[in-house]
Amino acid sequence: MAMKIGDKPFFDRVDDALEDNFMRNAMAEAQDGLRGRKLKATVEDEQIGDWEEWRSAGEEIRRHTLENLDYYLNQLSENFARQGGHVYFAETAEDATRYIQDVAKKKNAKKITKAKSMVTEEIGLNQALEEIGCDVYETDLAEYILQIDDHDRPSHIVVPSLHKNKEKIRDTFRDKANYTGTSEPCELTAFARSQLRETFLEADIGVTGCNFAVAESGTISLVTNEGNANMVTTFPKTQITVMGMERLVPTWEELDVMINLLSRSAVGQKITTYVTNLTPQLEEDSIDAPNEFHLVILDAGRSNALGTEFQSALHCIRCAACVNVCPVYRHIGGHAYGSIYQGPIGAVLSPILGGYEEYGELPYASSLCAACTEACPVKIPLHEHLIKHRENYVEKKGMTAEKMAMKTFGIGASSPALFKLAVKGMPAVLGPLVKDDSISSGPGPMKLWTSVREFPAPGKGNFRKWFDDHKKGRNQ
Amino acid sequence: MAVGTIHNKDAFINKISSKLGRDRNESVILPKWEHRPQFEVLKGASSDELAAAFKNNSLEKSTYVVETDAKNLASALEKVIEKYGGGQLVASNDQRFTEYGLDELLKQTKAHVWNPVLGEENIAVTKKANIGMFFSDAALAESGTVVQFNDKDIARSISLLPMAYVSIIPKSTIVPRMTQVAQAIHKSVEEGNNLATCINFISGPSNSADIEMNIVIGVHGPVEAVHVIVNDM
Amino acid sequence: MKVSLFVTCLSEMFYQNVAKDVVEVLERLGCEVDFPRGQVCCGQPAYNSGYRKDAQKAAKQMISSLENSEHIVTPSGSCAAMFKEYSELLKDEPAWKGRAQAVADKTYEFTQFIVNVLKIEDVGAEYPARATYHTSCHMTRLLNEKEAPFKLLKNVKGLELIPLENSYDCCGFGGTFAVKMAPISEQMVDEKVRHIEDTAANVLIAADNGCMMNIKGRIDRKGKPIEVKHIAQILNTRVEGRI
Ligand code: SF4
Repeated sequence: MAMKIGDKPFFDRVDDALEDNFMRNAMAEAQDGLRGRKLKATVEDEQIGDWEEWRSAGEEIRRHTLENLDYYLNQLSENFARQGGHVYFAETAEDATRYIQDVAKKKNAKKITKAKSMVTEEIGLNQALEEIGCDVYETDLAEYILQIDDHDRPSHIVVPSLHKNKEKIRDTFRDKANYTGTSEPCELTAFARSQLRETFLEADIGVTGCNFAVAESGTISLVTNEGNANMVTTFPKTQITVMGMERLVPTWEELDVMINLLSRSAVGQKITTYVTNLTPQLEEDSIDAPNEFHLVILDAGRSNALGTEFQSALHCIRCAACVNVCPVYRHIGGHAYGSIYQGPIGAVLSPILGGYEEYGELPYASSLCAACTEACPVKIPLHEHLIKHRENYVEKKGMTAEKMAMKTFGIGASSPALFKLAVKGMPAVLGPLVKDDSISSGPGPMKLWTSVREFPAPGKGNFRKWFDDHKKGRNQ
Repeated sequence: MAVGTIHNKDAFINKISSKLGRDRNESVILPKWEHRPQFEVLKGASSDELAAAFKNNSLEKSTYVVETDAKNLASALEKVIEKYGGGQLVASNDQRFTEYGLDELLKQTKAHVWNPVLGEENIAVTKKANIGMFFSDAALAESGTVVQFNDKDIARSISLLPMAYVSIIPKSTIVPRMTQVAQAIHKSVEEGNNLATCINFISGPSNSADIEMNIVIGVHGPVEAVHVIVNDM
Repeated sequence: MKVSLFVTCLSEMFYQNVAKDVVEVLERLGCEVDFPRGQVCCGQPAYNSGYRKDAQKAAKQMISSLENSEHIVTPSGSCAAMFKEYSELLKDEPAWKGRAQAVADKTYEFTQFIVNVLKIEDVGAEYPARATYHTSCHMTRLLNEKEAPFKLLKNVKGLELIPLENSYDCCGFGGTFAVKMAPISEQMVDEKVRHIEDTAANVLIAADNGCMMNIKGRIDRKGKPIEVKHIAQILNTRVEGRI
């Protein structure tokens, strides 16, 4: 599956990641940078007033839109087709790729340029197009870097090549594309520009994702910086846009709010360099605009969340603010999640789209510190969703040692007498292990604790008794 | 243009309705939003204040800014062209070049004015051009953004292919932020008008921070950007 | 003012001194402290691990034993935040939901109670040391209390408080996370300890026993000469003649 990254089990992926010091440094630095930039453009930017108000506005808009998703999708598709565009509703990833393959075949397309898009990664579009003999060119700088590095996988939803530093990129360019320059970002970028320049103009089809679609006018909005999305949507005669079915807004007024939330949260910009809004007003003789425009609207598991406690996960606008503050992501990076959607939103979304069998462990890859929830520009309660996933996961599994322990906990915690007994019993149970006032090597699950750190010795006194004595003393 | 096709809609949308636990929603009234911070930004700012904010935010996005008035526009543009090394100039096919008395300048600089009749030749010239010049239809103070409503005359290529873009911004078109433009577009849609095929919000030269978060100016779009504010008030 | 102490299981089992300091500070500030006997664990370990039903049992027990209190004060931002979850946890049981909310509404983390309810920012403590403070995730984000501990520490005589780099990053405790995801938790606590060391502080102050247990455990394992103290231990030092 194209959403999946790697075949190893979760903990092996984590071990691989933790050994990769190079990647971890890159992640930590990138996080610190992105986080700082976002704060500067949000809570610290006085020009836009109270950022909390913006978040509330975003939440309100997303909630309403998802609650009326059937209505707005209908409106979007009607408006898109009325102006000459073609709409294909794809139930599954396979439906989507098959339709796009058919369009490519009909157009006899050889060269296809692509702007950055996670959803096309999700459905494995490149592979599907290559299967029918098309040459697919990723044009977003980060995606370009991954593509020429033998199709390396994305590690971040906004900057997919975040795990690579400039030296690695230079080496890849040198080995795979005969680059002879230095590792200076300017020079590397100029190289990508020169490599892709003619391709943009020659391509038969341009493929994009979709940041937002506007239902009232049938418009596709793309939020970018490099100019590649404009190239991809300007010169090929056929444009294909793939959108997750939840990525729409009712009208332009809501689009305005969402663009602000996205630009500022994703990259700390007041607005991205390009916000390109494309409506299929097609003219046969247009010189620098497509004359055929397809919109593929994808479910692929998203509807699993509708009408459930996970519905607000579909409010996500893929800004990666939650990823950029996640302390777990900071240390294990993107690939360890085993999904193209990583970090907190990845841990919430991947099980919804791909099931617990494949992604059931991801919701545990969080200390529930709630940094994600605090950062999310549309106020998705991410850490609560992680708990909900755990509830479902536990429910699905049979009786485990942990479940037993929790049952015991439940009994103990609902009975003060038993609880008291447990507290009292602590020193007796742990006593033999205590050395110098702490425990360095414990049995069972405690071993996992003591493999990393000391465990405190249980207090010697009895607090309840102390309290009684203390009270008596005071009352005398 | 013929109406396009829609595949698979009803099954897809009915499934959504049923997941949402109800029949298909045939009419929805947009709620009155409780939170509307967008209207507070630069609220009540004078046109001078808007122009000043627009200028600062343009500078912040590595854009060169020139302020002039209608009378001196041609000579100001001439200086800009010179500063950016002359070369091939391309201009959109826009009535406003005439209205602002710029025909002479275009002639003198041997500018290529976009002409749909010439077909692909336009692209061939534009991709080699040094400067692309166009009028902005609206400008956003908050972010130093120019807005273009593209069609076959106001071509997309002009702000995209040349090494530099030069945008002429009548001061009266500067608004606080995207909100005002979005509102106008929304109104126009409600009145049943069709939108331009591409409505492009552009804020300075293309750039990328994909390599180690270093901002590199000039990727696939222009490497330089110039905003020329013309006092038309 | 009448205050019921919700001591938390970690304090009761491991950090009884902290619990005693909490009682003494509150009494010194004029509160009448009682200790409702029926209290158990807040249920967070079960709740966070996905064992909702078991968490509900704990919640009901806690509600029953504390609902008659005037104010409920606890030396843990995380456990206080768990109380705030109760009405969601019991949302399908109308008989309990309201009671859960009532308990949540009168529950305060220890420093929050002193600053926001007692309206005291200087408790008259003295603690000459170079220290740094660990902000716990649940206290700052779930309980939304970001300032109270700092207000109190600012007035502790002799205490030099050094800002902690990346203070907003979790220390890696996360309850069962620390054992379930031990290798990741290890890296998180290591980074936290590195930042603490960078401050050259002799004392790390915190207001949550879970974080303390984790960070102290790592500091001790690495043999670093840094003491770890609960904020109640700092506030329960006295300057003669004050208050
Ligand atoms: S969950 Fe929120 S913060 Fe995370 S990517 Fe989505 S919108 Fe951004």
